Amino acid sequence: MHETGLAIEAHKIARAAADARRGGAIESVTLVVGELSAVEPELLAFAWEAVVSGTPDAGARLVVEWRRASQHCAACGDIAERAAGSWLRLCPRCDGPLAVTGGDELDVRSVVFCEGGDA
Amino acid sequence: MTEIDVRQKVLAANAAAAAGLRSAFRDTGTLVVNLISSPGSGKTTLLEATAGALRGRFRLGALDGDIATERDAERLRRQGIPARQILTGGACHLDARQIEKALSDEDGRLSALDILFIENVGNLICPTSYDLGEDFKVALLSVAEGDDKPFKYPAIFARAAVTVVTKADLLAHVDFDLDAVRSQVAALNPSGKLLVTSSRTGAGLEAWYALLANALADKRAAQVLALR
Repeated sequence: MHETGLAIEAHKIARAAADARRGGAIESVTLVVGELSAVEPELLAFAWEAVVSGTPDAGARLVVEWRRASQHCAACGDIAERAAGSWLRLCPRCDGPLAVTGGDELDVRSVVFCEGGDA
Repeated sequence: MTEIDVRQKVLAANAAAAAGLRSAFRDTGTLVVNLISSPGSGKTTLLEATAGALRGRFRLGALDGDIATERDAERLRRQGIPARQILTGGACHLDARQIEKALSDEDGRLSALDILFIENVGNLICPTSYDLGEDFKVALLSVAEGDDKPFKYPAIFARAAVTVVTKADLLAHVDFDLDAVRSQVAALNPSGKLLVTSSRTGAGLEAWYALLANALADKRAAQVLALR
């Protein structure tokens, strides 16, 4: 249950980015969250609401862009056959070994904020 | 309304602290191993055995993360190695700033080591995301936990350079398909190593000790090259 800590960090980063532009209240923050980032998006949204309440950014929306990890075969390329939440032991086409790529994203992608002064 | 691109890692502050630790560990030539597993899979017991076997050859030390009690650090101190408990007070993982603080509170007693073990809070999920400046992560999986865990907790098994199967002396008493675990780990992490051990009987521990000694030798060799 480390989503609260992540929400606090994301809010700090977003607030600093808005402050650097002399921005007002944050309207929304877009996070990129990978499948292997050990983050549960619903818990993160819940934590986000709690973290921004009581700050001038209360009510700011959190938008999560989910990124899947990819299982990759050296011979056949990315394996699209993998069902969400499951993993293949071997390449379904050639029985070759697979590598996992991507899915570890956990980034603040963008921030939407009101113009300074109208916050 | 204004929209701006930020493109910054949520864990940037942790990453910066971890980079500082990694650089300090490079300077002292200390091999740092971050052990991650569920509670009760045998992290402390493996470290007790390791301390007993290797403390004459290497300067060892440990940081033990737990929500409560000094028990793990006390167990390792009884094995004759310096160990400090980090109490997280409810947090489910260690972060790099806690490691920095613990090392500085120890005032040098945990620096200039050959190998520093960081025993993370018992949890297969959250600790995966936090870089502690380690050389590599080790995932432990006891045979009593079941053979489906790598695919159920893919993040840690994809990132751990070494998976240590523990409590192998119980294999005869539980339904644990070792080959299934091998193939799951291989799918998630083709370059990962897998060791099968029992801290109770000592089976497989020589391979674990050799892995540590080799990793330390590699790190020292890289340090010598960098100084040239």
